[in-house]
This record gives sequence, structure tokens and C-alpha cells, in this order.
Amino acid sequence: MSQDIQKIPADSFERVHIDSSQAERITKPSLSFWQDAWLRIRKNKAAIVSMFILLFIIIMSFVGPMISPHDAETQTLTHANLPPKVPGLEKLGIMDGYGTLAGKEVDLYELKKVDTYYWFGTDGLGRDMFSRVWKGTQVSLFIAFAAALIDMVIGVAYGGISGYYGGRVDDIMQRIVEILIGIPTLVIVILMILFMEPGVTAIIIAITITGWIGMSRVVRAQVLKYKNQEFVLASRTLGASNGRIISKHILPNILGIIIINTMFTIPGAIFFEAFLSFIGLGLQPPAASLGTLINDGNKVLQFQPHILLYPSLILSLLMIAFNLLGDGLRDALDPKMKD
Amino acid sequence: MAEKLLEIKNLKQYFNQGKPNEVRAVDDVSFDIYKGETLGLVGESGCGKSTTGRTIIRLYDATDGEVIYDGVNVHDKKSKKDLKTFNQKMQMIFQDPYASLNPRMKVLDIIAEGLDIHGLVKNPKERKERVVELLETVGLNREHADRYAHEFSGGQRQRLGIARALAVNPEFIIADEPISALDVSIQAQVVNLLKELQKEKGLTYLFIAHDLSMVKYISDRIGVMYFGKLVELAPAEDLYNNPLHPYTQSLLSAIPLPDPNYERTRVRKSYDPSVHNYQDGEEVTMREITPGHFVYCSEKEYVALKAVSSARV
Amino acid sequence: MEKILEVKDLELSFHTFAGEVKAIRGVNFDLLKGETLAIVGESGSGKSVTTKSIMRLLPEHSSEFKNGEILFNGKDLTKLTDKEMQKIRGKDISMIFQDPMTSLNPTMPIGKQIMEPILKHRKVSKSEARKVSIDLLRLVGMPKPEARMKQYPHQFSGGQRQRIVIAIALACNPQILIADEPTTALDVTIQAQILELMKDLQKKIDTSIIFITHDLGVVANVADRVAVMYGGRIVEIGTVDEIFYNPQHPYTWGLLSSMPSLDTAEEKLYAIPGTPPDLLHPPKGDAFALRSDYALKIDLEEAPPFFKISDTHYAATWLLHPNAPQVEPPVAIVERMKKYPGSRYYEGTEGGAY
Repeated sequence: MSQDIQKIPADSFERVHIDSSQAERITKPSLSFWQDAWLRIRKNKAAIVSMFILLFIIIMSFVGPMISPHDAETQTLTHANLPPKVPGLEKLGIMDGYGTLAGKEVDLYELKKVDTYYWFGTDGLGRDMFSRVWKGTQVSLFIAFAAALIDMVIGVAYGGISGYYGGRVDDIMQRIVEILIGIPTLVIVILMILFMEPGVTAIIIAITITGWIGMSRVVRAQVLKYKNQEFVLASRTLGASNGRIISKHILPNILGIIIINTMFTIPGAIFFEAFLSFIGLGLQPPAASLGTLINDGNKVLQFQPHILLYPSLILSLLMIAFNLLGDGLRDALDPKMKD
Repeated sequence: MAEKLLEIKNLKQYFNQGKPNEVRAVDDVSFDIYKGETLGLVGESGCGKSTTGRTIIRLYDATDGEVIYDGVNVHDKKSKKDLKTFNQKMQMIFQDPYASLNPRMKVLDIIAEGLDIHGLVKNPKERKERVVELLETVGLNREHADRYAHEFSGGQRQRLGIARALAVNPEFIIADEPISALDVSIQAQVVNLLKELQKEKGLTYLFIAHDLSMVKYISDRIGVMYFGKLVELAPAEDLYNNPLHPYTQSLLSAIPLPDPNYERTRVRKSYDPSVHNYQDGEEVTMREITPGHFVYCSEKEYVALKAVSSARV
Repeated sequence: MEKILEVKDLELSFHTFAGEVKAIRGVNFDLLKGETLAIVGESGSGKSVTTKSIMRLLPEHSSEFKNGEILFNGKDLTKLTDKEMQKIRGKDISMIFQDPMTSLNPTMPIGKQIMEPILKHRKVSKSEARKVSIDLLRLVGMPKPEARMKQYPHQFSGGQRQRIVIAIALACNPQILIADEPTTALDVTIQAQILELMKDLQKKIDTSIIFITHDLGVVANVADRVAVMYGGRIVEIGTVDEIFYNPQHPYTWGLLSSMPSLDTAEEKLYAIPGTPPDLLHPPKGDAFALRSDYALKIDLEEAPPFFKISDTHYAATWLLHPNAPQVEPPVAIVERMKKYPGSRYYEGTEGGAY
């Protein structure tokens, strides 16, 4: 070691002047919070796959009924209870239109002299399941998105006002929430259905009437946290109005949490809608949602399993994908919440 | 001395007033701040020094007392326009370099916030130029304007906070523990910057801190707070060389200095509030012992202190 | 004196989302029996990581020992199994953290928390452990220890809590006590009490202390020897007098002169320009060169080795190479050196080297 040191040429010991302005340079690329979050979520395979699944289901819910040669509502009684049959796949021995009739495997399409294809089969009234499933998905998604949106708007406004103004306002608003949360949701829903005509509107109202409370609590806690942060105080000492503080400082910071929370509200709403429809409090025939379809399929599970299979498959996919995406978003938008 | 810029008279800030958990964070505190000086405010955590600063700048509404700025009581109900002028004259620098900058905003927008609120610039080009000018004032440059706060180090962030406060051309800045969260080598950068700015722009500072050696370095006069009360107020040199209140003495004797020989001989004094032995009805208040040197004491202590300090001279 | 701990060529990295952070880049030091070694440095210098790696308290999935060994009584701590390590932790080596509030369990009476390590590491009965705990509380200066055994952490003040934490750390008479910024969260008067307590206890129970802090005043107060860390390396190590009165590394100069002294009124403080290095991409050569007024050409090429100043004093700077130019340290440092026999600025009568 000391040998090496002796060999260093003398001129390397010249003093150099370091430009100290260089010391302030930041070499890292500039990333906004959202760009950073995107980089993080891109590394999360489950979330990305979920995102594509959701995109596919959403697109199909609009395109599906159109690409099917059959209408969702038209009843063709002669075509009732047909199993799935898909061109191409039929040669592989699956989805070939065969079904059990009186204990024997027979080609039901041939038997009933049907020469078209029902990709997901038909139900007891001869309606095309393919169109009905996608139509139902569309309705379910609509209900879920509408409910989540309403939850978000009410929840953010209520929680925001309660947290930001605090004091007496907060006290009164929180007591109201406590009363609301004390009433079982199902009781409210049954009352709702009694007074209102069962339908999409009734279900959306039923879901949102107490659904916003979760969001409002999350938002209130976040606002309470942020309103005393030093950057908000700094803005106040600069003379910023309440509106400016809320829109420029508090909202952008809690947006991540709001998105995450909404991502978890959506599958909740889908499931609640399905549940209501399944127990008969939801949509009424002939309107279809994933819940009513599952309800129909459940009745004939033993004879016509395909009627139950497809809607429940899509429901499960929706639930899993939304939850995985929500998890991914949470890790990306709020890394601290992970543990 | 120079003219008074700020008079704080009998300021009180009680939290949860009238309830069993009432906290008297600031309890009847009075002092003046002169134009162009730095007044240091020291004390241990929970002594009310930060609350005093925040109450002066109206982040809290005072329970009682007056804050008179340039002859006007800032705690009177005032019109929006008056409040805005006040906000422009008095600014604040915060303690935590990580929490004091909005993580979702670009540096450009953080610094320009005051410019936007007070309508100090006419167009985006002027806005950008003004921000770059402010960045250069605090030792940063144009490249930094389009970055987000989290990309900066603690010392750089604290300088951004200073630039934000300077944007509205204030006369008076409350620095609330601006260096406590920084590394030693960075503290000096920030303190030097504050001193330079004061010289250049004739600023007046209220410098709140618990690090007494830095406070002594930057302050002209120093006030010591203990449990919501101001116990001693004196010119910086005088306070360090000749502390009169027993709490100040104990505080000073507790600071470790980067000097091993001194440390080997330093004797710590401890403070026991019962030494005062105040009687009921005895008036305890700020009294001037030597010119400019005030101590919170009773009449009896005043006489004793007066005798001690005249003996010293 | 007897060496109780030897850290040799320690290199450690963290694997993060952004890449590999080389937090420790070759650290060497010994800890002698009964001494207090202070490690000073800025945040990110690697001082806390070094001690946490001695205790093996770093998250296993993201940290990696790249090189080196930590020898404690002849055993290499980096190679022990978790079980073996658990036997050492809290018994032979124990640790005090910065925040006394979070290092105590808020739902357990403090008596139980002190008894826990005693029951775990020493084979004693419960009543015996209780007696030891009360003695410990008395040792750390807690009034009425019997009555306070049943109380919960929130019933104590910050300073008292730190005393309890120290009592727990001392429960098994550890050979090494690691104190990671134990007084940073405390007020100066409380800090002074805790420092006095620690010095007092060290005399009584003869343990070695590694004291991590960024406060040079505290270092001057407690340390026998000082290691200055920068950018994941030790840049200077020596006795407390050598570091404070005869510093050799430009970073130590910068640290010491950026603190105002109470009796002089400098017009401007010396400030180290710039910011500490990003250990995700550590700079080539001497990590401090980019912020130094004393940088040499070679600093930008090659990291300096340790140069010996005395048997106890080493510094890693090319300025000490025989071919390097003689430089003038900052004024405040020259003032300090004047007090130190052996420095070239010594003004005393005992006669210096120059």
C-alpha cells in the first residue's frame, strides 16, 4: 500500500478549485408525484394485468351486445336452454353445443334444429346469454361507477367541510354520521325499495345513502392532518383564502387517497348490487345485471350450469381485478400505507 | 435604539380555555422588537416560544393582549384589504424543511404563491423572472424552478422556504426554529443567508430556537421563555456573560460546547422554581435591572439583583 | 488496552426501488474496553447504519453485507444465525435509541419492560429480577423506584423515559452499549442530565459505549475517542483532543468551524457549500472533494487511504501525503490548533513539532 502511494506523480497533488455552484446541481430527472407513481405501478405486474382485464371487460360490456348476432331481449322460445357453441372451438370438443338430455350426451343444437351459434348459450326463454351477460355487466358497472362517483362527491365534500372547519361544525356533522351509521344498511334499503320503484336509480340511491360515510371519514382524517402542516400554515401567512388552500394545497395532497378509496368502493358497489339483485331487491326482469343473471343461473345450476358460469366468472374477475388494481394504486400513490 | 417595529403587550394564548385541560401556552408576555434587529427567543420544548410566534402572525387568535405593528393592533378585526397588507409585511419561515413545502407543487408555484395572492406580477413571464431572481437570492438557480420539493436536500428546502417568504417583500420575518432540523454544516449556510438578507434588505427577525449557540450568534437581543412566561430579556452578549434569572443560568450552563477542555470543567446548575419563594400578593413582573436587561422578578429579588449587578460593574 | 469490538472493511448496501445505495463503503474501527467512542457525521453519512449493522437490526430483505467483518470476542457478527444473534442482542450488546417514547411499549408497565431482558438472558427467578430492576431504576436516578415499577411510559417525562430506556439497556450488564442519538430529542437541560448519568454509569459498570451523534458539543462532553464519518466512510479518527484541537481532514475542519463559539463574534460563519453525496451514485475519489476548498487533483481520481498522524490519530486525506502542498486551515481551526502541543501552530511553551 505505502509503495503505491509513493509512486503517485507529484503533479496529481496540485490544488484544484471546485466550482461550488456545481454542488447545488440536482442530477436526478425531475419527476412529478404522478409520474413517480406511474413508474411504481408499472413495476406491479398484478396491477397492470388487472388494468388490462378491466379495460377488456369495460370495452366488451359496450361492444359485446353489438358483435353478437342475437339481441339481448329477444325471446326465441324454440332456442331455449342451449349450451354454448363457438365456431372453431367446437372441433376441439368443448363448447360444441353438446349437453345432457335425459342422461345422454347429445348435440342439442342439432336436436332443436338450430343452425346459428350461441357463444355463451341461451337461457330458459331462449335469450342469447352472450348479449345478456355483457349487457348485465354494463348495467352493473354503470351502477357501480355512478354510486362510487356519488359517494366520492358527497364523502369528499362532507368530510372536507367537517375536517377543515372543525370545532362545532365538525362536532355536529360527526354526530349526524354516527346516527346514520347506527342504522343497518339493509333496513334502509328495504325501506327504499318499498317507497321507490325497483330499478337502477333505486339501487344507486340505496348504495350511496350510507356508502359515502367511509369516504367522508377518510377525507376528514386526511384534511385534519394536512390543515396543520407547515406548508398550509405558510400559505395562510401569505394571506391565502380558504378556497385557495383547499384547492391548491389540501385537495392535491389527498387526491391519491381519494382515488385509492374510490377504487375499493367500486367493487364493493358491484358486489352490493349483485347481492341486492340476487336476493330479489334489485333490478326486475327483463332488465339484466350480473346479480339478476346469477340469480337466474342459480335456479337451474344443475341442468344449465352455463347460465350461472359466465356472469359469475365476470363478477369474480371484476372483483379481483379492482382489488388488485386498488392495492397497486395504494402502493404507488401512498407508499407509507403499505405497512 | 431604533424605532419600535412591533410591540407585544400582555399577549396571552390559552388553549381549551375554561376546561380542565386548559393550557396556558403563552401567559402574559410583553416585549418590543426594534426595526432592523434580530430578537432571539429561546426556551425548552413546550415553553410557548413557537406559540408566541404563531400568535403574533395570527395563525392563532390571541386569547388576550395586543400585537401592535407599526402603531396598528393586528389582532383587531380588520378588513380583508388591511389583512393582506399585514400578511405582506410579516412573514414566517418554518421548522420542518420536509413539511413546509407542498409536495405536489413545483418550486416555481411554491415561491410564486405570495406573488399570486397579492397580485404582484402581471404575466407569467414576469412571474417566472421574479421567481428566478428569488432563487438566485437564496443561492439556487433557474434550473431548480421546474423541480418538485422532494428532489431537494434539507438545506436547499429551507432556502426555498426563505425565498417563498421573501417573495412578498416583507419587513419582518418570524423564523420558527429554521435550523433545528438541519445538519450542522448546513445550519451555517442558512444562518449566513439570513444574516446577509438582513443586511441587504433591512429585515427585522424574530428568531425562535432552542439551540442557544446559534441564537447568540444571530441575535442582537435574546428573550428566554419558561412555561409560557418571558423570564429574561437582554442584549445577547449581556445575557450570556451575565445571566440573572436562575433559569437562564441553568440553561446556559447546560449547553455542551465543541471544546473538550471546557467540557471537562463545565459545572451544570439546575433550576428549582421554588427558590423564588414568591409570597401571595407579591407582584412578579418584568423589571429592568441594568439598561436593556429585564428580568421577571419580585420587588425583593429586584433589589437583590440590582445590588449584584452594580457590584459586578 | 483490550479490543472488544473490531470492525474491518465493512461494506454494506441497501437495495431500493431506485437502485443499490452504498450506505457503508469500507469502515474500519476498534472499540476498546471501557472507552466511549463517538461517531459523528451528517444524516446519510452512514453512522446509524454502521451501528445497526453491528446489532444486525437492518431489514434483511433489502440490506446486504458486501464485504468485511465485525469481530466481537472473536466471533464474526455478520455470519451468526438469527438465533445466535438474539442471544447477544440485549445481553452482550444493547442499544439506546433516539426517541424514548417509541422505544418503550406504551401498554406495558415499565417494571415489566425492565424485567423482560433479565428474565430472558439471566437465569433468575421473578422476584430476583424484580429486585434487580428496582436497583437499576435507582441506579439511573429514578426516585421511588418501587412505586414507579407499576407505572406506564406515558406517566413519565421525556428525560425520565430515556432513563428507563437506559435501565433496560443496562439490565444484563452489556459489554457494549450503543447509543444512537440518545439526547437529540431532549431539551438541553435534560440532555445534560442524561449525559452526566451515562458518564457516571460507565465508571460504575465499566462498559464500552459507542455514541452516535451529530452534535459536536455532546461529543466533546462524552467521548474518549471520535470517529468522523462522511459519505459512508470514516474520514478521521482520533482521541477527542486530537479531533478537536488538531483536526487534519478538511471535512472535520468544516464541521468544527461551522459552529459558532459562544465567546467569539465572527462576522460570517464558515459554511460547507453544497450538499452531502448521493450514495446511490457515490462520487469517484474523495467523496468530500466536491465540497472542499482544499481539493487536490488526485482527490477526484482516487479515494485517499488513512495517513497516520499519531498512534491514535488517522485521517483519510491526500493533504497528508508527503508530496501534497502545505495548506492553511480555516482561521477557527488554527485557533484550535494553537492550544494543542504537537500541532504546527502550537503557541504554548512545551515546544511543538515546528
